[in-house]
Amino acid sequence: MAPSRGPLPLARNLHVTLDGHKGPVNVARYAKGSAKYILTGGQDRTVRLWNASLGTEIKAFTAHGYEVLSISVAHDNAKFASSGGDRSVFVWDVTTGTTTRRLPGHMGKIHAVEFNEDASVLASGSFDSTVRLWDMRAQSRAPIQILEEARDAIQAIHIDSTTILTGSVDGYVRAYDLRQGELRSDYIGHPVTAVVPTQDSQTLLVTTLDSHIRLIDATNGKMLNDFTGHTNSSYRCRACFGHGEASIVCGDENGMVWAWDLLDAKLLQPNPPPQVHSKVITWTEHHPSDAGEMITSSADGTCKVWRHPA
Amino acid sequence: MTSRLKRKLGDIGVDPSSARANENFCLVSIGTPLPPLEKSRDTGEFVPLWKQEVRDEKGRRRLHGAFTGGFSAGYFNTVGSKEGWTPQTFVSSRSDRAKKKVAKPEDFMDEEDLQDIRDSRKIVDTTDEMDFSTGKQPEVQDDPDADPLTAALRTAMLPPTNDSVGARILKKMGWRVGQGIGPRVTLKQRRLQDLKASTSTGYHLPQTAPDIAVDEDSEEANKHTYAPRDTPILIVERKDNSHGLGYQPGMSLNDSLGVKGSSGRPGPNISSGFGLGALNDADEDDLDVYDSGSANVRNRLAYDGTDDHDRERSSLGGSKSKSVSGPTLSSGKFRDGGAVLPGFVLSDKPVMEDRWYPLPDIPPGWKPDPKRVWSQSQPQEPAPSANKENIKNDATTALPHGKWKTSGLSADEVSHTFSNSNPTKPFTRGSILGETPLPAAPRSVFDFMSQKDRERLKNIAASLHPPSTGEPSTATEAASQSSLTPTPTTATPRIPRIDPGIARAAINGFKPFSTNPVKQARYTAYLQSQADPSSTITLEPLSNQSIPEFNSEMDEYAQSAIVFKPMSGAMAGRFTTAAVVEHGPKVIEGLHTPAFKDEPPQDDNAATADKGKETKDEKELSPKENAARLGMYGPLTRESVLWQPARLLCKRFGVKDPNPEPKPEDPTTQPSASYTQDPSSSDTAMAQDVSAADYGIVTTTEASRSTSTGGPRDLANVGLGDEDDTQGRDTLTYERPSIDIFKAIFASDDEDSSDEEGDQTVDGEPDLPITTNSNITVAPIVATVTENQPVDPNTFKPTFVKREARTTKTDSERQEKKDKKEKRKEKRKAIVSFMDEDDAGESLKLVVEKPKKKRKKDKEKEKEKIKETPESAPRGRKRAIDYM
Repeated sequence: MAPSRGPLPLARNLHVTLDGHKGPVNVARYAKGSAKYILTGGQDRTVRLWNASLGTEIKAFTAHGYEVLSISVAHDNAKFASSGGDRSVFVWDVTTGTTTRRLPGHMGKIHAVEFNEDASVLASGSFDSTVRLWDMRAQSRAPIQILEEARDAIQAIHIDSTTILTGSVDGYVRAYDLRQGELRSDYIGHPVTAVVPTQDSQTLLVTTLDSHIRLIDATNGKMLNDFTGHTNSSYRCRACFGHGEASIVCGDENGMVWAWDLLDAKLLQPNPPPQVHSKVITWTEHHPSDAGEMITSSADGTCKVWRHPA
Repeated sequence: MTSRLKRKLGDIGVDPSSARANENFCLVSIGTPLPPLEKSRDTGEFVPLWKQEVRDEKGRRRLHGAFTGGFSAGYFNTVGSKEGWTPQTFVSSRSDRAKKKVAKPEDFMDEEDLQDIRDSRKIVDTTDEMDFSTGKQPEVQDDPDADPLTAALRTAMLPPTNDSVGARILKKMGWRVGQGIGPRVTLKQRRLQDLKASTSTGYHLPQTAPDIAVDEDSEEANKHTYAPRDTPILIVERKDNSHGLGYQPGMSLNDSLGVKGSSGRPGPNISSGFGLGALNDADEDDLDVYDSGSANVRNRLAYDGTDDHDRERSSLGGSKSKSVSGPTLSSGKFRDGGAVLPGFVLSDKPVMEDRWYPLPDIPPGWKPDPKRVWSQSQPQEPAPSANKENIKNDATTALPHGKWKTSGLSADEVSHTFSNSNPTKPFTRGSILGETPLPAAPRSVFDFMSQKDRERLKNIAASLHPPSTGEPSTATEAASQSSLTPTPTTATPRIPRIDPGIARAAINGFKPFSTNPVKQARYTAYLQSQADPSSTITLEPLSNQSIPEFNSEMDEYAQSAIVFKPMSGAMAGRFTTAAVVEHGPKVIEGLHTPAFKDEPPQDDNAATADKGKETKDEKELSPKENAARLGMYGPLTRESVLWQPARLLCKRFGVKDPNPEPKPEDPTTQPSASYTQDPSSSDTAMAQDVSAADYGIVTTTEASRSTSTGGPRDLANVGLGDEDDTQGRDTLTYERPSIDIFKAIFASDDEDSSDEEGDQTVDGEPDLPITTNSNITVAPIVATVTENQPVDPNTFKPTFVKREARTTKTDSERQEKKDKKEKRKEKRKAIVSFMDEDDAGESLKLVVEKPKKKRKKDKEKEKEKIKETPESAPRGRKRAIDYM
């Protein structure tokens, strides 16, 4: 096969459909490591664990009293955290299927939870516009620190080794740099629903509710690229990088999965893409290592695993 | 004794076979003691809460605790039986047909509900006012011939009458209901009385009424005499409202003018208890639900109307509806009851009828455009002139009311000036109609002044700007001035006080005037002045602001401070300030009236330039948003601030604390601004942006306050106590300098170090603060040379020895010890005395009088100087021990 220029075509062959949820699926995350498993959280108050290749449901975690809006898996796959309408973060033990911690403190829905790299700190961002940082090592249930700079609901959190990124409905992407002791706020101007940095943490992929996905330079806040064409004005549709960070993948509110070239921001074929979900696609996540696999979760109650025909 | 009893006795250790175990013993010691008498207990005794029980009226226990059964106790609190409640079974047979039952609400009620219903049905008769209930049995006594049994029965069975006292007295005098008072009258007289009664109060009744014609068939009736009619009672209704006389709520204009109003009260039945304002319309809430219909139900008779048989006669209640029903209303009587003058007839047409003209045909496609009208009137606007005299000349339209008021012109003058251009001014209309001119205010003094004088006055007034009164040069002028502008002369700037706590909270709270930075800055300054009563921030009126305006502004600030102070404590944490600050256009309430600018736009270019400036302003309001809108992300949309991660967070992330805790800085290095303003709060920053002086904020911060801590200390004041807060702090936190320093200072080169060493150690804790005093009088240096081995202060401890042993000690040793004591005492004295103000100078000297080196001969002298005697040694020793 001749070396092709540009990104690989998107995996558009449906591999399996994970349809155990009874309502919209709000989030779908790969497990860490080799990412053979998928965790999905839905409006039916459950978190479900799936085998990605077989499409079988392994376990359902039921303790939430409200919808599940966010999931974060710890680095060792031993535990994960989930959050949602019941204003506490639940930390689960994967094998026993029970919650090991419930961290109350937020005053509203918790839209985002994220572990840090060694799962010693958990960050949760809520409708109450605060980010709380919880200590996973100590027994104390009080947050280490509360980040109260946001003026509206926190929709997205990402933590890398020294930076905490938050995206908020007030239109800001905030980067809390621990090493420099600095808070850099980038005003995007539209409600931010997802922030995904590249591996090198130099650029951020910011999804906003004006049907734009912007690639922002993390160092100076300049916009490197702007990806448009899809429809995203009222739901959180998380965009992600394709394989090798050569492309941008995002599902939109019409159930279509769009893909752009990262460099020239051109839509990849097919354009327009076929509708693969009947309702809004709430989450798109590419397999961390496998070039030909990605998952989408949708409000139509399914989560789909896509692969290259092989 | 039974075997059981024996066993019991054995249990408690009594031998049943012993002689003591007789019957009596058993009864006394084994039998259950009687419970204490319940009756003797005080029922009102205090029972602790946990012992109290709630019981219903049947004595069943309610509200079982969680450990005594909870809801399941007492048969689930249902009907008190184990079986519970059995639903009714429907049984119907041919012989015994089940009746069709209609379920009533009462079927579903328990006793308490039923009791409630019964209680609510006890109707309180509000009309029953005249019940002097002492005389309940008035008729018992008035027939003494009846036997007591009948009387008792009657009083028991008959309801008590509600007669008033007067009626009862009348009845006792032989009067009966319906018989009237006075001699019997003929039929004609009686008819007359009827007529009189029907017209109620009857002011000017014609003595001979033609309509009282005696019929043919009443010949028989004429032969008899009749009881006179009851005298109508004049009932004056209390006027508890503020309506005009004769006005009824809900009356329309036609009603009030015409006869249509006679159709009765159109409005709802208003509760008589409420005084309705003239503008209040009656709505549903004001309906008196307990007022049973209309007033004619009310018992307005002096006697009990129930036994009145004479139904055919019209009642004498005097209520309006009845009087209206009289037959002669339209001719004889006004609506308010006044009789029409003889010879006049009341018109039954309204005085004035509204005329409605049909709307003109609106041309198709026409749209209302008030702006066109305004713009038409704009160029006709008079040229700007503060000059009042000019207004007279060129005014073509009416002055605004305010200007008219202050113009000093009387009404007719103004209209005179306008009469040429606009012939329908009130004055001209009035003159056409031949009205006498309105009594206008006396002409102003200005009218009698020469043009020159007026100019001069005007200049003076212009020079004294903020209070718009000119400086009166003479008494008459002063009078005229005060008549011109009556209020501002008396007004003084007044700043309302608010609680400092509220002000402090409001500073951090919501910023109500964020769309108007000038106002917000003034508001903040006001809050600061209120938060700190001792602050010297004073607010002054703006240059274009009169004092009443300023006062109202201050009132507004005080009000906003109270309203917008943030919630305290837990509630406050639940809210955040909105991200978007409203920069929208300022909306003026009310109808839009075109604001006539003082200066008409010179040309179109200026207008467009203005517009351009406005849009530029808009952009400048939010450069960040604009940049984001244009996609110019980068430095414009980014802002970096310092952020302090928690130390634990840094630890968890394995990152070094980026901003390590600043060392406790000397307070003198802090900027002096922090004493007056909080630099972190953004609004003070704003206040600084818009230069504070422009807004009348005078900040006379005393610079001395900051210099008091920051500046160099004045040695002349040291020790006076009041000028330095930090005074004495170094004494308390004093750390002993290293010995080398003392050596360097005090040791002379030729001294041998061993001596020095010993001296130091003898001194123990040496040394005292304050070395910088310039006028130190260097005292003769005292040294104690110890004959014995040096004493190490770290290891030295006083030891108790027997008196014999002590006395055998060498004299020198004792003296040496005494010396030590003495020195310690001195030292101590020095430390202590530094606190005292009276001997401060001395103590300072003492401090420096550091006993250091002394030759032996001097030592003896020193001993003499110190008036310690060997006899006082034990006391001194004890004290020395105390020191250690």
